[in-house]
Amino acid sequence: MNALRAEGATLREALHAEWTKLRTVPSTGWLLLTLIALTAGASALATAVVKCPASCGEDTTKLSLTGILLGQAAVAVLAVLVMSSEYSSGMIRVTLTAVPRRATALAAKAIILTGVVLAAGAVSVLGSVLAGRYILPGNGFTKVNGALALSLGDGPTLRAAAGSVLYLALIGLFSLGLATALRDSGASIAVMLGLLYIVPLLTDLGTLDPRWERRLQQWGPMTAGLAIQATKNLKKLPIGPWQGLGVLAAWAAAALLAGGLLLRLRDA
Amino acid sequence: MSTGTITPYRSGQRPGRDDFPHLLRAEWTKFRTVRGWVLAMVAAAVLTALAVVALAGVSSGSQNAGAHPTVAIGLGGEAVTDDFYFVHQSLDGNGSITARVASLDTELANAGPLPPHIAVPWAKAGIIIKASTRPGSAYAAVMATPAHGVRMQYDYTHDAAGLPGAVSAASPRWLRLTRSGDTITGYDSADGTHWAEIGTASLAGLPPTVQAGLFVTSPQLLAPACPPAAICPPGSPPGQSFAGNSSLVSYATQATAAFGHVSLRGERPAKRDGEVGGAWRGGQIGFPTGIAFICGPGQKCPGPPAGGFKKSGGTFTLAGNGDIAPYVTDVDPLGTVLKGSLVGLLAVIALGALFITAEYRRGLIRTTFAASPRRGRVLAAKAIVIGLVTFAAGLAGAAVALPIAENKLHSGGWASSVYPVWSLTSSRGLQIVVGTAGLLAVTAILALSAGAVLRRTAGAIAAVIVLLIVPLILGAILPQGPADWVLRVTPAAAFGLQQGTTHYSQVTNVCQPINGCFPLAPWEGFAVLCVWAAAALGIAVFLLRRRDA
Repeated sequence: MNALRAEGATLREALHAEWTKLRTVPSTGWLLLTLIALTAGASALATAVVKCPASCGEDTTKLSLTGILLGQAAVAVLAVLVMSSEYSSGMIRVTLTAVPRRATALAAKAIILTGVVLAAGAVSVLGSVLAGRYILPGNGFTKVNGALALSLGDGPTLRAAAGSVLYLALIGLFSLGLATALRDSGASIAVMLGLLYIVPLLTDLGTLDPRWERRLQQWGPMTAGLAIQATKNLKKLPIGPWQGLGVLAAWAAAALLAGGLLLRLRDA
Repeated sequence: MSTGTITPYRSGQRPGRDDFPHLLRAEWTKFRTVRGWVLAMVAAAVLTALAVVALAGVSSGSQNAGAHPTVAIGLGGEAVTDDFYFVHQSLDGNGSITARVASLDTELANAGPLPPHIAVPWAKAGIIIKASTRPGSAYAAVMATPAHGVRMQYDYTHDAAGLPGAVSAASPRWLRLTRSGDTITGYDSADGTHWAEIGTASLAGLPPTVQAGLFVTSPQLLAPACPPAAICPPGSPPGQSFAGNSSLVSYATQATAAFGHVSLRGERPAKRDGEVGGAWRGGQIGFPTGIAFICGPGQKCPGPPAGGFKKSGGTFTLAGNGDIAPYVTDVDPLGTVLKGSLVGLLAVIALGALFITAEYRRGLIRTTFAASPRRGRVLAAKAIVIGLVTFAAGLAGAAVALPIAENKLHSGGWASSVYPVWSLTSSRGLQIVVGTAGLLAVTAILALSAGAVLRRTAGAIAAVIVLLIVPLILGAILPQGPADWVLRVTPAAAFGLQQGTTHYSQVTNVCQPINGCFPLAPWEGFAVLCVWAAAALGIAVFLLRRRDA
């Protein structure tokens, strides 16, 4: 007979529990497959339709990572469900009974989610880069026209690819924090995708006050975060690649902090 | 120990009615009694209006103020381009003008080291009857064009086709305009003897004395910005967009045309300017255009290409550039500002999906289907209720937001001649307001169908958002061809309803998604969304019937 421990589960046990929960729900597998298929598929399509004599100036690295735009939605859904499905099924009360330290419970969810997204994200990004590497030369992006084949040995391309994987992980953490605060899956996913997708639509058309346009691009989680994918015209970017990813990290940290605080303060 | 038969229990109540009006009432009751949903729908309308107005507040037309140096004001107060080289005489009263166009050549102006010849599809050489030489005045014209055959155009927006084919010495084009009162009729002919009517123009209030003559004009040409490796025409800036890809740039062009067999016949001789058949006078109407566009700030600008004419014997040779057409800007501030309705759209997508997924989560769906076993009709009732409620909310939000936003845009520096104020009763105002409401309503039905198919809230909401909004982002990133394709086949085509500018096939401004222009006509785009929603609804009904609830 094990003596019951008053202090509840350790982080290690909480991690094990979260891993089991995530792994045994069928939707996890489907969403990760969707992430990989959407990202690599959309990236391959984007590289297949851009031809060189017409658009040789294209940032080929960024172009071949276009699919992240779509794939991130699957990450957001997965991350929101990690938290909100516990609320809709009442499971959260069992979870918090087993792991009474709420910060530990949230941390365990964040760590497991990050690990899963990093792994699937790496596969998606690798697929995208490979698609770009083999499709682009056929479209006229050859040495003659001044375009080198994509390679992870190239510093900026490696930064863009690795940064895109980190981007997906940060989107996951951001969504998890938001879902912890809002608890409802519908509201969380709508707010999350709205924050991501609306900003670039407003700034692309060039009719806003330039100062506001720049501010929106610097502070929008997606416009700032995806600066990590740029390998050309870096000086013209509204925000540098790593600073941009930093802005997204700040959004994710703020959401997790708010979510964690509300989780502590509210009844489950 | 009774041996009698047992009568099974029958309720004294009459069986519940599941006719369609009652189904609608049941679904309406479900919607209106969930306080969160009603609040969210009201919030969708309010947030749409607030977001649109807030965006109008940070929209700045000041950097755009000097960008329209060549605009003239047309008859209805609208912006027009009225720039051409004109060789003319006065025509008093009724009469006609005839000319034969023997050649029409176009070239790149200020070509520098590039070969100057370039095809300009909408260059124009022809005859015109115009109320006065003031840019923006009424006119009717027939003209030859390099790529669109003979056309008859009048009062800037009207355009009709005549003989097809380009002009050459071997196949010249004969053109004729006759005036009878306010009516001008255009004719064309391949040989000068067999004439065909192209169309008639009714120019209300045409003065008794008008200017009639020959004209040549050639609009700027949109072509890809120079690739870095190529030799570029002087002053051409590299185009750039969100992803750093190249976009199109305007180049100034010049057209030269030869006319023969020019004759002007009037009922009575002109009073002021000498007789009909007297001296022809040449002059530039409006501006020789193109310069403001190929010359970036701080660059040394090439001078405007000079228009002019030579007369030798019966042959007139005219050179000119510009355009006679509606003025189409490639910037759409109102369209950007209306993107604020996406905030409301997100709420509507969430509500549409929840309207059915919440029933699955709570198990209410089993009660619903027990009460009304015909599942297709249940879903139809849900679609009608959520569609109508959303339409009403969207209509209110858009109708309040549009006038305030337009007001703010114009006080923010967007000139109302180029960016017109559409009143709520104008056809464009109605298109924007009713279109926005319709867009929201059909999207709600699409989300409802996605919810019925997936039975999961988060997945359904995310799928519809990605389907509707990501194509708009891709449209701005991808090059023109693929971007057009994306905006034709995805439900995002419906956002064309929110365009604030009008596009004409006879104006060379290419419709670029990056500038907020949609390849499909507004209501065609809306039809694409409706097809998506109908298909999703069909799949949902099919699956609802086959699956257990």
